[in-house]
Amino acid sequence: MTDLRTEIPLETRGLGKDYGDFAALRSLDLAIPEGTCFGYLGPNGAGKTTTIKIATDLLRPTRGKAFVFGVDVRREPRKALARVGTVIETPEFYGYLTPLETLAYAGRLRGMTRKDIAARSEDVLRTVKLEGWADRRIQKFSKGMKQRLAVAQALLNEPDLVILDEPTSGLDPRGMAEVREIIKGLKRAGHTVFMSSHLLGEVQEVCDDVALLNHGKLLVSGSVRDLSAAANGTVVVASFARPVSEEEVAWIAGQPGIADAVRERPDTLTLRVPGGDDARSRVLAVLVKRGLPVSAFRPEGSALEQLYMEHIKESERA
Amino acid sequence: MTPGSFQQVVIVAEHEFRKYLRGRRLLGMVILLALIVGLILGLPPALGVPYATTPNAFAATFANFTGVLVLLCGVLFAADALVSEHEKRTGYFLFPNPVRREAIVAGKLVASLAATALVLFLFYGAIAIAALAVTGAASWEIALSYGYALAYGTCVVGVAFLLSAVMRTTISATLLTFFLFFLIFTIVSGVLGATDIDPWFLPTSASGIIGNVLGPPTTAPGPGGGFFAYVPDVTTSLIVFGAYFLIGALAAVLIYARRELVS
Repeated sequence: MTDLRTEIPLETRGLGKDYGDFAALRSLDLAIPEGTCFGYLGPNGAGKTTTIKIATDLLRPTRGKAFVFGVDVRREPRKALARVGTVIETPEFYGYLTPLETLAYAGRLRGMTRKDIAARSEDVLRTVKLEGWADRRIQKFSKGMKQRLAVAQALLNEPDLVILDEPTSGLDPRGMAEVREIIKGLKRAGHTVFMSSHLLGEVQEVCDDVALLNHGKLLVSGSVRDLSAAANGTVVVASFARPVSEEEVAWIAGQPGIADAVRERPDTLTLRVPGGDDARSRVLAVLVKRGLPVSAFRPEGSALEQLYMEHIKESERA
Repeated sequence: MTPGSFQQVVIVAEHEFRKYLRGRRLLGMVILLALIVGLILGLPPALGVPYATTPNAFAATFANFTGVLVLLCGVLFAADALVSEHEKRTGYFLFPNPVRREAIVAGKLVASLAATALVLFLFYGAIAIAALAVTGAASWEIALSYGYALAYGTCVVGVAFLLSAVMRTTISATLLTFFLFFLIFTIVSGVLGATDIDPWFLPTSASGIIGNVLGPPTTAPGPGGGFFAYVPDVTTSLIVFGAYFLIGALAAVLIYARRELVS
């Protein structure tokens, strides 16, 4: 009989970490379903990296346990980390090695054959666009290049679980987009991805599920779709070709599907629209049907962002 | 499939050895060796001083520098081995691999010992060849002195690893290793010399067997005239070296296995 727990790529039970009187992580219960891309959101200092460091045996938990594919990370780190690829913070590499030598070192420690290492190194370096630097010493690499190499080594042995801590940190916009594409590719290939970030747009673009953390405490978790729908609306900035009268603002605020309407400038309103794309589309149709000359209609931040801000503010108050 | 721990120890050791080669530490030590050998061979004729006539007496001149050489090996090959993974953040690359921290320490230890053994082998090889060329003979005592130097090297590396596992920065681990053997043990030995306690437990005192095997003990300078530096017997000295190595290395493994990568 299969132990169902072994199917869970990453699970934490009552996980906590204290530094003296400061609780960096408080009793975290989390289970990452297989084959999903899971976004781990929170502001700086929320406890995201602490969770990841415990899951990869870099830190010892004060209480609770972390399991990778059902294996207790603290008790059996070799077994637990055998199917995992990680990028934690921006790692440094041995400056006297080249990317190929670095990958060979990691590959050998992970039990890959020399033939596999050679073939996969070529693949992953091409994926992160470092193939032209394969034989150059790392000591002169920029932070962005090291981040790309970090992603490459994480993917080297085609791990079942990829743990990424702020994977686009230090990259330029093009590099960020490329890393997001790599993550999407991993998702398509059926890998489980656990990714921490404070960039909401990034998480919304690539992740299926998210968990929101602040002050070491899990605030909310679920699918991006469900949480976006549950959010208290998206803020939409609506601009008009002429100034909008008080009566028109009052009429707009009273329409079904609009939670609030505030005049920002004579020709610009900020609308709070509960729901997703469909809801915004209906509101736009109502405005146009009324004969209002809408010149721009643009969501300001996503529903997820709204949810994030609400939960963070609430947890700060608590 | 993840390789066995022994295989991973070998992989880590190979990587560390490559570090010594690429970082030119090994090259630096070889240059230093060449300098020591060149000076000892070149200065006497230049100053009109005759060479010693027996192989042991000839080799003893070189053996005076063995202690410093061993200490430099400990500083260059061991003192930063563990702490640098934390300080330079390379641990973020290395530690999340499926390899036990104990295997990493063991691999680094093997590489440090191998590098130290290699440097000493080159040094004693040069001594033996020079002795053969100058006096027309070599001796087993030279080989024995090499063996004792290796034992002392093992002791220094073990202690350096412990300091590397404990300290927060490379520079502090390096300086502490150097001053512990170069200064602190010497001071303790000097203070004990004024009492009736023999410093048999100090590795620096025990290291006297490296030179003593090549000839009778010589006087060391001191206030109020020269004195004979205390050197324990060979068995005690080897036990002292072994004890320092075992305690240092085991403590390093235990401490490093629990050390967290915080920063």
